[in-house]
Amino acid sequence: MSRNFRKFGIAAALVLLPASMASAQEVPDADETAVLCHGVQSICVSAKIPVARTTQAVQNWMSPDVGAAWAAGYKGKGVTITMVDDFSSSSRFSGNLGIGVQTQRHGEWTREEAGMIAPAATIRSKDFSTGSAVPLAAGRNVLNLSYGMYTTAGYGVDQIGWAPEEASIISYATRGSAVVSKAAGNDAVAVGGVTGGQQDYLDLALIGKSTAIFVGALSTNGTTTNKAQLAWYSDYAGSNALVQSHFLVVGVEGDKTGLYGTSFAAPIISGYAAIIGSKFTKATPVQITNDLLNTARTDTLANYDPSVYGKGEASLSRALAPVAIH
Amino acid sequence: MRERSNIRGGLCSAALQLCAFLCASTANAQEWTTSLVDIHQGSALSDRARGLGNGGYELQSGSWVSFSRWYHASWVDMHVDLLTQITPDTGILWGFGTGEQAEKYRIEPSLKLGFLTQIHPNPNSTLSLSVASIIGGNLTEKPCEADYGDLGTYSVNCRLAAGETAPEETLKYLVNATPERLHLWLNYRVTF
Repeated sequence: MSRNFRKFGIAAALVLLPASMASAQEVPDADETAVLCHGVQSICVSAKIPVARTTQAVQNWMSPDVGAAWAAGYKGKGVTITMVDDFSSSSRFSGNLGIGVQTQRHGEWTREEAGMIAPAATIRSKDFSTGSAVPLAAGRNVLNLSYGMYTTAGYGVDQIGWAPEEASIISYATRGSAVVSKAAGNDAVAVGGVTGGQQDYLDLALIGKSTAIFVGALSTNGTTTNKAQLAWYSDYAGSNALVQSHFLVVGVEGDKTGLYGTSFAAPIISGYAAIIGSKFTKATPVQITNDLLNTARTDTLANYDPSVYGKGEASLSRALAPVAIH
Repeated sequence: MRERSNIRGGLCSAALQLCAFLCASTANAQEWTTSLVDIHQGSALSDRARGLGNGGYELQSGSWVSFSRWYHASWVDMHVDLLTQITPDTGILWGFGTGEQAEKYRIEPSLKLGFLTQIHPNPNSTLSLSVASIIGGNLTEKPCEADYGDLGTYSVNCRLAAGETAPEETLKYLVNATPERLHLWLNYRVTF
């Protein structure tokens, strides 16, 4: 599924590069219960996502950390996660996030996953085929990018003519107005690295941005006794210190869900960010980002190396915990 | 609060059987007699406070914080109950509790005041009534100061500082409890 999705990303980038054109598209078969933003003016229609709201159980694919942190609490209340993803294509695939086998679009899967991590968060769906700017909601915002923008390697980021969609996302990450959780990629190369003669320019554009987090995938959730390894397909942090300092990994237990890829790592971080934002209601996106990055664990990873794992495995419980208490 | 009554001389012989430390002293010229009815440590609030010490969590660094260090009292609330006999069938119940405290809670000292009376419906039976009220003895949990680094320092409920609840919201869950304010006993005893 990730390969199909990446193809879409390539196609989108090829259209965008020459002319920065973005056309409005209807979402023909979108979930009527979702929050949808589409069209050049980014009109958002709000509604609830019933599956995500009613499923508050800790699933076996989640980190034990999530269960430990799920005391009676807010679980993302007051935070909006905008899923920029595919909500309109005919491509669907099957999986099971613990509530039965479903066949859905890529965006519907990532949206459901984020909603299960942060059940009280408001989840918006922004179809990425529109190319229109991503609007922010009132309050705290998290953007989930489980896609890449690939084209021929060798361009400078400043040569790219971004569509309003990506331009707005990059702007938010630069200004620190939203936490941006970006799937690292599934080519087993360093973030922004060349694969098949192409590069993910969205990765490159987000490097060094204050609220951008690149999210790689572990094959399991790590513990101190069962340390996790990077999933075979996952992009890694690489030697760039700016990437290493904004790179996190989380378990993507595809053997339990049938869903593989860093596409399913990014929503976990989006959910974590929402939960942190719901606890610290005055926190800025920069503070939430730094909290996640600074509390990542390295003792749950096999042969921890910052060029592979960046800051380490995200730990929700530690991100919520005090530095000191007396 | 546990309480037992009562006194020698037929006033309430059941209490005599329960009282491990009975003593008597002449109180004044009217020969009121004061007896130690009960002495014990602990109470429902003591148990509740001790229960707050179960559990713990990791700080951001991974170091473990056990609640027991905050909720362990070196002295457990001691209650002394006495009864001063006024007439052969009436007496005043009184006593006090020392209270207890640990780093993050306090049980105030308490006073007990009440009376006991009895009648004899027939030579073989006794109907006794006692009423006692407790003054003070409240359990109050204290907050902690939690440092969340860049996210700020907050006054929090020590036990909920690492959960998902907003720091300021955790203060709603500080324990503030009062002991049972009024104790009423009605006892009917038949001897055969």
